[in-house]
Amino acid sequence: MKRFLSVCLACSVAAVLLGQPADAQQTSITWWEHSNPPHNNYSKELVADWNKKNPTRPVEYEFFAMTPYFKKLSAALSTRSAADMFTVIDTLLPSFTTKDVLAPIRPEWLGYKNLEDMKKAYLPGALEGYIHEGKLYAVPMIASVFSLYLNRKHFREAGLDPDKDYPRTWEDIGRVGQKLVKMQGSTMVREGFDFAMHSSAWTMWYMEALTRQYGGSILDRAGRKCTANGEAGVKAMQVRSMYVHKYKISDPTVSQATNALPADDLPKGRVSMFITHAGSVAQFGPKVMEDMKVVPLPQVDPKKPISVVYGFALAVNPQVPEAKQKMVHDLIRHVVRNPKEWYEKTSYPYPSANFLELPGMDEARKTRYLDVFVGDIKTGTYVTRSPYFIEISDAMHRAMERVVLKHEDPKASLDQACKEIDAALAKP
Amino acid sequence: MARERAAAARAQPWPRWLGSLRQAVGWRRLSLHTRLCWAGFLFVLPALLHLIAFKFYPMLEAFRLSFYQYDLMSPPVFHGLENYRSVWNNPLFHQSFWVSAKYMFGVSIPEWFLALALALLLNRRMPGRSLIRLAYFFPIAMSQIVVALVWKFMYNPLGVVNTLLSYVGVGRINWLATEETALPALILIGIWRGIPLFGVIYLAGLQAIPKEYHEAATVDGAGGWQSFVHVTIPLLMPTILFVMVMSLLSAMKVFLNPLVMTEGGPNGTTRVLPYFIYDTAFAYHRMGEAAAASMVLFAFAFALTLIQLRLLRRGGLE
Amino acid sequence: MSRRAVRLWGGGLLTILTIAGIGLTLLPYFWMLASSLKTGGEVFELPIRWLPREPQWWNYPDALSRGAFAVYFFNSAVVALAVMAGNLMFCSLAGYGLAKFRFPYREASFRLILSTLMLPLEIVLVPTFLVVRGLGLVNSYGGLIVPLAVDAFGIFLMRQYIKDLPDSLIEAARLDGCSERGIFWRIILPNCKPALGALALLTFRDNWDQFLWPLIVASRDTLKTFPLGLAQMEGIDSAAYHEIMAIAVIGMIPTAIIFLCFQRAFVRGIAFSGLKE
Repeated sequence: MKRFLSVCLACSVAAVLLGQPADAQQTSITWWEHSNPPHNNYSKELVADWNKKNPTRPVEYEFFAMTPYFKKLSAALSTRSAADMFTVIDTLLPSFTTKDVLAPIRPEWLGYKNLEDMKKAYLPGALEGYIHEGKLYAVPMIASVFSLYLNRKHFREAGLDPDKDYPRTWEDIGRVGQKLVKMQGSTMVREGFDFAMHSSAWTMWYMEALTRQYGGSILDRAGRKCTANGEAGVKAMQVRSMYVHKYKISDPTVSQATNALPADDLPKGRVSMFITHAGSVAQFGPKVMEDMKVVPLPQVDPKKPISVVYGFALAVNPQVPEAKQKMVHDLIRHVVRNPKEWYEKTSYPYPSANFLELPGMDEARKTRYLDVFVGDIKTGTYVTRSPYFIEISDAMHRAMERVVLKHEDPKASLDQACKEIDAALAKP
Repeated sequence: MARERAAAARAQPWPRWLGSLRQAVGWRRLSLHTRLCWAGFLFVLPALLHLIAFKFYPMLEAFRLSFYQYDLMSPPVFHGLENYRSVWNNPLFHQSFWVSAKYMFGVSIPEWFLALALALLLNRRMPGRSLIRLAYFFPIAMSQIVVALVWKFMYNPLGVVNTLLSYVGVGRINWLATEETALPALILIGIWRGIPLFGVIYLAGLQAIPKEYHEAATVDGAGGWQSFVHVTIPLLMPTILFVMVMSLLSAMKVFLNPLVMTEGGPNGTTRVLPYFIYDTAFAYHRMGEAAAASMVLFAFAFALTLIQLRLLRRGGLE
Repeated sequence: MSRRAVRLWGGGLLTILTIAGIGLTLLPYFWMLASSLKTGGEVFELPIRWLPREPQWWNYPDALSRGAFAVYFFNSAVVALAVMAGNLMFCSLAGYGLAKFRFPYREASFRLILSTLMLPLEIVLVPTFLVVRGLGLVNSYGGLIVPLAVDAFGIFLMRQYIKDLPDSLIEAARLDGCSERGIFWRIILPNCKPALGALALLTFRDNWDQFLWPLIVASRDTLKTFPLGLAQMEGIDSAAYHEIMAIAVIGMIPTAIIFLCFQRAFVRGIAFSGLKE
């Protein structure tokens, strides 16, 4: 027993001593990212390439599981131990910028004259989500958008022409969906259409799009008061629930749209129409995509399309010295220098102004619905900027769950959400 | 035997520096009583120092932060009792408190009885007993994250739970995404994982009861049930109390299952207090409020621990 | 019905219940194993597929290649073993001190130690991290191990067990002139092997899959534990469940082995009867 204990203890002491951080290299740059396999693989390639060209200032690249990553980032920023550069999602930007934990991006270090000059290189509005009080705080690496995917086979089986009969409005979805839905006795075995309901971020994206299409907003202009329970918000919530309650083409007990497979019903043929992002094209794979078609996000008024974009971007840690920040800017330039390759490796569009006109994009425009996605990106804006975004989206998500699962009145449910949101906004 | 060992221990020299230290404090001149006092204290010291650095200090720090407004990234600002007030006024905290309470008792009460039943079953003579024991106790070996992932997978609408239920005519349920079923689903996992551990503890308690007690009871004409009530239960009391308190405390700490399986949803019905604290601190960046909430949780748990000590003492364990 | 018939029926019922109970207890294991050998398509097939059409053994190497899993498992093992060793050592020391000695504030310190039993890690995460950083242990095995090396539950367990050891054992050794340290090593430790076995099993299990703490303290792929690797297999909106299950199966093997090793000691070591004297 004694020997066993001594051996164990000796081992642990050895582990503690041997495992001391070996980073005497002050010149290396650390980069943290969320996990997403195709994306991470390409990032690794870029890092390898950089390290070959810059042996004196190598990059140490690490990625972490998506959900806990942003919590780790908060803890790390709080203890001043975050990486030199890190990937952020646009929705969380205000909660960082208002606390001064991101370094402003210097367009001149990226080869632009100034911010205005830099904006011209991007799609209109593409940088807006990363700007706070006139300064840019992150450089987009991808932009994405939610569009409607539909199963062409199901359409043809139902006697519909996917190229002509696809839904343009939310009401269209209900009507078309009723032809697509499949019942077996009283149980639904194939949904006509479904919204994902696995995460509050997704809920926020489509609720915000719907609310804006009806002319409303989630928060007032100053961002101090919840307006989601206004007329537009209630209409949006009614749309959200009408496929379950009115059209009966969607059933939350059938849906497989759970974390981490929200879009899995579509490739498996369990739902005929589903709203998901551009990255799904790569996740489904070319074989599944043969049966799919992607069309623009349904609208309230197709003549005035409105959608919501989101994106991931690179931010700089302000706690590192300026010389190193400059190095990080060089790294950013290196990472985003080839939008076409980004697109080919990850299937996420890059929001640069000339993206569609880049040489070699014709193929993707024809077969991978790139025009649809970029079209939706052009009509899109970012979700409400607020440092309380997660609290807001959690409240909206709960409101949606009450309406969809418990049949609560949309107005009453949104009133409660607004009460919760206002309470959060009122706190310092 | 003891003598040999003692001799061996004497032969082993102290490290030299320790020897001189002993000389300096005049260890030999101290009375036996004082020496034993110090020896006992020195035995406890390493653990105590560790706990001070990694438990008490962080705990005090959390207590201090509960009076500050602190968003993790800007410097903390003193805030008085504001955090406690806002936690008190937060309906989500109240919801979480009740979810936690429901989970705690929902898991531990069935555990008390089922684990005892299991222990009684496994204490009987039957063919293949050791294999049966092994099978029943195996969930002890499964680690948290694996438990969460496997059950999440089994609760899938197309998963094995719904399939089994469909054999008895129950329709398809989306267990983790329905308000009424999400918490019971998590409770079931807690019970599944808790029964074997507490079953072992009961079994150990049962085996420690000398056979003569039961034999004496049988001689006195007591049937199986009477013997159980009048002999087994009283002698098992310390174990029962221990199991009661340990099961409550471990159920109170549950965190990974809601994190992995439901993220606290749907509509907050599985957002237990530890998850509320984690979210408030690291997603909402309200560290002060999270600290205040955890002080409430801590006070609750501390009260439970005190009751535990009292009960254990009364149960004759002290 | 005669008494015999009742007993027969009762016995039959008990047997059925026992077997059904085993089935329910082991169902998750079966499901995990079966799923880990299915193709991605078979995983959510309807009607359900209990067994794969053909076992897909390649799922295992494929899953392992999704990350540096050899490293993650190694790290988990280092952390679990080191934390286990620390707990066995320090908890038995403290347990002995609390059980068999009288010194001022003994009860108070015991109570204080117990109070940490209920401390949720979520809340002391940031202060604990600051301590670890102060010690220069961020991004090292030390940072992963040291804060977990003592746990109040272990102290409690060891104290209860040692309390039940007869005092005469210790006094005899003391009269023979055995040093206090010698008593601990040669009398106490050999006599509480079952409790040490129980503690070893529980600490190994609980630390083999540390998740939240390594997530915060380790920012390097070479220091990640296997649950972190497992979690990052779920990308954004994608998850290969058959491969995740394969990793889960592999991740279960060490705890299962430890369980089989310490199983017997476990049943004896965790008795809280107060009847042994």
